[in-house]
Amino acid sequence: MSVDFLHPGEGAPIDTNVSALEMRGIGKRFPGVVALDNVDFTLEPGKIHALMGENGAGKSTLIKIMAGVYGKDAGTVRMRGREVDIKSPRDSLKEGIKVVFQEIALISEFTVAENIFLEGYPTGRTGSIDWKKIRAESAALFNRIGFNVDPAARTGSLPVSQQQMVEIARALAHEARVVVMDEPTSSLTPNEISLLFTVIRRLASLGIAVVYVSHKLDEVFEIADTVTVLRDGRHISTKPIGEHTNDTLIQDMIGRRIDNLFPRQRGAAGSKVALSVEKLSTAKKLIDVSFEARAGEVLGFFGLMGAGRTELAKAIVGYDPIISGTITVDGQRLAPHDTRTGVKLGIGLLTEDRKSEGLMGELPVYQNASLASLGAFARLGFVDKAKEHQAVQDYVDRFRIKTPSLFQQIKNLSGGNQQKVLISRWLMRGLKVIVVDEPTRGIDVGAKSEIFALIDRLAGEGLAVVMMTSEMPELLGLADRIAVMCEGRLTAVMSREEATQEKILNAAIG
Amino acid sequence: MSLASTASAKDQPSMLARLFARQELALLVCLVLVLAFFSATVENFFSVRNMTNVLGQASLALTAGIGCAIVFISGEVDISIGSLLATIALPLIIIMNDTNSLLLGVSGALLFGLIIGVVNGYLVAYAGINSLIVTLGTMFIMRGGVYLYTGQRAIPDDASLDSFIALSDGRLFNIIPYSAVIAIVLLAAFGYMMQHRPFGRQIYAVGGNQEVARLAGYDVRRVKFICFIISALLATVAGIILAARVGSAQHTAGLNFEFQVVAATVLGGVSLAGGIGSLTGMALGVLILQFLSNGLRGLGLPTEWQLVITGMIIIAAVAFDEAKRRRANGG
Repeated sequence: MSVDFLHPGEGAPIDTNVSALEMRGIGKRFPGVVALDNVDFTLEPGKIHALMGENGAGKSTLIKIMAGVYGKDAGTVRMRGREVDIKSPRDSLKEGIKVVFQEIALISEFTVAENIFLEGYPTGRTGSIDWKKIRAESAALFNRIGFNVDPAARTGSLPVSQQQMVEIARALAHEARVVVMDEPTSSLTPNEISLLFTVIRRLASLGIAVVYVSHKLDEVFEIADTVTVLRDGRHISTKPIGEHTNDTLIQDMIGRRIDNLFPRQRGAAGSKVALSVEKLSTAKKLIDVSFEARAGEVLGFFGLMGAGRTELAKAIVGYDPIISGTITVDGQRLAPHDTRTGVKLGIGLLTEDRKSEGLMGELPVYQNASLASLGAFARLGFVDKAKEHQAVQDYVDRFRIKTPSLFQQIKNLSGGNQQKVLISRWLMRGLKVIVVDEPTRGIDVGAKSEIFALIDRLAGEGLAVVMMTSEMPELLGLADRIAVMCEGRLTAVMSREEATQEKILNAAIG
Repeated sequence: MSLASTASAKDQPSMLARLFARQELALLVCLVLVLAFFSATVENFFSVRNMTNVLGQASLALTAGIGCAIVFISGEVDISIGSLLATIALPLIIIMNDTNSLLLGVSGALLFGLIIGVVNGYLVAYAGINSLIVTLGTMFIMRGGVYLYTGQRAIPDDASLDSFIALSDGRLFNIIPYSAVIAIVLLAAFGYMMQHRPFGRQIYAVGGNQEVARLAGYDVRRVKFICFIISALLATVAGIILAARVGSAQHTAGLNFEFQVVAATVLGGVSLAGGIGSLTGMALGVLILQFLSNGLRGLGLPTEWQLVITGMIIIAAVAFDEAKRRRANGG
């Protein structure tokens, strides 16, 4: 009684009168927090149901309960009217619930085809794996969904966006009744997103219930039939998408209206050049990039995936080696591939990949904040703890960082608050230039506006802010000047006044 | 729509580079070079007698190496195998001396090995203790136990069963030592399991990424548990062959054996990080080190030098591997 994307029409048709999945009164606590409180969530076969909410609203917890990653503390789960007890991912898969998690869940050493059949290898009569079938079926599956990748490729050798597509394809290789996609577009190109949407609609037309988790309002309006909003672990609303506008949806998510996502407080930018980059090229990506950033301005860099934004960010702070060109910070040359001098001269990077390049998750908030400026708190080579704590506490107060204490492990903070701690790390150091790479990735709407306000304030305090972003509203809302990249080259620089979405996109396409 | 095909086409490595990317092939070339070098420099090196002798000597490490590699691939380590070799000789020899039955002796040894495997596996997989610590612990416990029990005196094999003695000097068709035959059969069987049975692939998946394996519905703990049992049982088989060879249970049997096996396994390209490597690679690693040692002895080089050279080779091999991997990942 289920549908297999690869073999539609096999098995009995799905009964559309019974809910595919019905969760009632779901409760889940973690030490110190109620993650979910009496949440109802019902999925109808053949419908696309968006699940929205800020980070910490309980979306991931709800999905993880569905997937059997977490057990629930209260409530019932029914599949097509029958109560089920999902205790492990295995139980969940058996019920036909396929979850595509945000983090890539593939074995990178395996071939693409083997990853597709990871949940259950087709075997022959002797119980040995039928590799021929694996290759043929994955090729057939890719063919059906119009996804062009070599099933024999080693998964780890593919770019992230293709790995994400492989993961989505995997959810379709086995019988499924419910397919859950957690922020599936976070690293996809526009083309791949439209391909994904076609696949999702096809799934729905086969009678599969689809859960679509996203922060991106435009995507939700494009694809969803129904929207459920969670906030602070509670169910807020479930409505057909037609009854929502951008404003009502945001209001449900944050519980208040955000009138202006980009409050500009700062004055006009100064004329002093804080960072000057000339004819910069790197082995991997960048070709002849030249620009200047002035004290007190936000210089926004826009580019599609693979345009070289992250590479540029890493090169100008002295993290990556360069082939040719010069970087000058506050009048002084920065030797390439030397973050030590970079920090000394006053240039710092707020990385795109907080988890692996920014945070020391197990360490407390205060150590994460003071990392770059321990020298300032040192007396005779020992860190003066009182002084260090006081300095960090100042930033916690100034930036309204929500943490139970300075000693909380930073991994327990929300994404927005983690980001604020990382910004504090650089400010404590007395920066002149801060490079921020995708500052709001994985951060929810409410916290986003706080990060925007913070960036505004940084520029207001006279820092030059170089911001790499792939989000158009962020770019247009924050930047004084806009630079556009395409395939490692700088293709346009324009002031905010002369910039339009069209102009920017044209320059980004090249 | 063709969205995703472009990336792989242009940085497709050359045919030769791809061949060398296969770990096993590079190892095979190394083995051939070692054989060629010593055939040219050492008299009687490339003779049927010497070749099959070395194969017989290698059979202990080959057999136990299967278990070692499987545990590595699952993302754990097992260094208790050397002590296990000495320990299981006790029930083996004692039962045979009492009953004159090889079958009962071997059963006793296997049962003992099974218990050790269960203990190691339980402590690592279910109690969640680091495998290096667990097997370091059981390694000391077993070695100490053997010293205590034997009073540091060998317990001779008084039963002297023909079938048991054949394990040490018997040869199939009068050419290949039985111990080598056992190793080859086990290698083939477990090699097939690792590549073509779902359980083998589960071991690779668990070692490759434990969380991903769990999300794919695997019972990660059970997989690891079973790997430790396999490792202990294979070490038991190696221990039985060793006991037959020395004709007794000895407290010093298998001393440092675990490190020889680990060295060969790592040389064979099996990663300590888990998920990478093959039994073929491990076997080639064992053979390279064994022939090297045999050849160097043929050249009259003292054992001390063999140790030094082995150490250098292992570091060089892993460094080479690391460099290759880094280039493949473009970083």
